[in-house]
Amino acid sequence: MPYNIIVLIKQIPDLELIKVNPSTGEPILDGVPYRFENLSKNAVETAVRIKEKNGGKITAILFGNDKATQVMKEAYAMGVDEGFIITGYQESNPIITARVLSEKIKQIPHDMVILGNQSADSMTGLLPGMVSSLINEPLLSSAVSLEVNNRTAKISSGTEREVLEMEAQMPVVISVAQEINEPRFPPVMQIIAAGRKKINIESSQIKSESMTKLVSRKAPKSDRKRIVFEDVDKGAQEVAKVIKEVAR
Amino acid sequence: MKFMIFSDASDLSKQIMTYLRGKGDFFLYTTEDRPELLSYGATKVTVLKGDQTPESLSSFLSSEFKSNGFDSIFIASSVIGRDVASYLAQSLGLKAVPEIYDVSINGSNVKTKRYGLGGKVVLEEESDAKIFTFIPGISDDNPSGGNSPSESKEIQKGRVTITAVKPKKGREVDLEKASIIVSVGRGLGKKEGIQQIEPFVKMVKGELAGSRPVCLDYKWLSEDRQVGYSGRKVKPKIYIALGISGQIQHIAGMRDSKIVIAVNKDKSAPIFQEADYGIVGDLYQVVPKIMSYL
Ligand SMILES: Cc1cc2nc3c(=O)[nH]c(=O)nc-3n(C[C@H](O)[C@H](O)[C@H](O)COP(=O)(O)OP(=O)(O)OC[C@H]3O[C@@H](n4cnc5c(N)ncnc54)[C@H](O)[C@@H]3O)c2cc1C
Repeated sequence: MPYNIIVLIKQIPDLELIKVNPSTGEPILDGVPYRFENLSKNAVETAVRIKEKNGGKITAILFGNDKATQVMKEAYAMGVDEGFIITGYQESNPIITARVLSEKIKQIPHDMVILGNQSADSMTGLLPGMVSSLINEPLLSSAVSLEVNNRTAKISSGTEREVLEMEAQMPVVISVAQEINEPRFPPVMQIIAAGRKKINIESSQIKSESMTKLVSRKAPKSDRKRIVFEDVDKGAQEVAKVIKEVAR
Repeated sequence: MKFMIFSDASDLSKQIMTYLRGKGDFFLYTTEDRPELLSYGATKVTVLKGDQTPESLSSFLSSEFKSNGFDSIFIASSVIGRDVASYLAQSLGLKAVPEIYDVSINGSNVKTKRYGLGGKVVLEEESDAKIFTFIPGISDDNPSGGNSPSESKEIQKGRVTITAVKPKKGREVDLEKASIIVSVGRGLGKKEGIQQIEPFVKMVKGELAGSRPVCLDYKWLSEDRQVGYSGRKVKPKIYIALGISGQIQHIAGMRDSKIVIAVNKDKSAPIFQEADYGIVGDLYQVVPKIMSYL
């Protein structure tokens, strides 16, 4: 049975490339490129695997800015059929993001909405429940495996202490955990082809507002010695000395 | 002040209750029926039985919140806790600040601290939020003695059906107490690598830990040995990272270590920025070398 699937994806600044201003401790975000958020890729992969098995259509929605086309092209290359970028994203505020996404979700017929359970940059973990609540569809949370059959979605969910098997009737929201799959690297040809595909860009009508007033945003101080040995033998000697001192 | 606590994790329940003691009355709502939770000074402990899905739990908690006149809600950050927080924020129309490790409440003004940009920065914020999710480490865990009254409540079933519950293996180690931790990453390459590293761990009288892929994806180590933002937060005297690239989510769990030693074959691996001593090389060659000098 074919399914209509919506995946929610996020673009984030490339965290590894963010430098910290040594005198203020503040992050330097100017010029840092955006990339596909980790768990969003797992979400797309989950959707693509369902489509490959059952047929259907995958629509991706990304709340971001006009720089998000690269991420959407990657999503196309992985197997997404149609993509909407909604511009107007200012900062992490799950309440606003959930509202913007839910408005769009309501306009698209679907059986499942799939998203990551916690994004790699802001890590709030609040979006899945908020979307579920706003579109009034049950949430299957933190899936580490997913099966769909006859409009029932069944997942294993890994909580801290247990693995819960649970199921719900579609339409349903499914948040996925990193362990659910290993996202594919689409072949170059697919990425090139995806580059020609149309991306729908709309702007958000919901006013952005801050969740909090930011008092300070600084990197925790790291005063590591950063003594790096490329000579293994010398390094091993030095490290052994350090260990011996502490272990004594 | 009158606080509502929801937690499905007893270690966090205990930390939150220890933290709140003296700041007001607090009521614990927990999915765990554990007698030791009664000796932390809660005005009442309510054990939630029946349906354990976030939607059902939060519809019960939402009506408790309204009928009891609570000022704010403290929620243990867990897979279920985060979902419960988001439902409550929506249904009660209250602001939520997630994943915090520090809070001070002054009337309706709340100061919080949490990590941003994947753990790279600390966000100090002010808000009028009423819902908070807490990551581990907000406070020590000190029982106050005494015996809180307790009751249990049956949660009504919702739209999601739980068909099976399989307990995970219990915790094997107390990494928080280890003085030397040897932590392995994806650079280990294979499960058998663990056995090759074990003699080294023994020699330095350390505990073995790992990055998330090693514990969660490949299961070379048990989950309770995962260090990082979503794992354990450790502060040993020496943290030895072998074949770990040093992504910020990992650093967030070992940043407070006294001395950090890193072995990585990639000279440009970010872990070297977070290390006191680094050795560029193959861990399978470097580790025996270190052992030969111990
Ligand atoms: C919401 C969220 C939460 C997360 N929470 C955590 C968490 O709690 N903990 C955590 O660890 N991660 C967490 N992660 C994942 C994190 O982003 C990284 O993916 C992970 O830390 C990488 O693990 P790694 O360093 O072992 O692997 P990799 O990044 O693949 O690094 C492997 C390293 O090993 C080196 N190497 C390879 N072979 C050798 C060899 N023979 N000798 C020496 N070096 C070698 C390589 O050069 C490389 O640097 C989280 C991610 C998200 C999105």
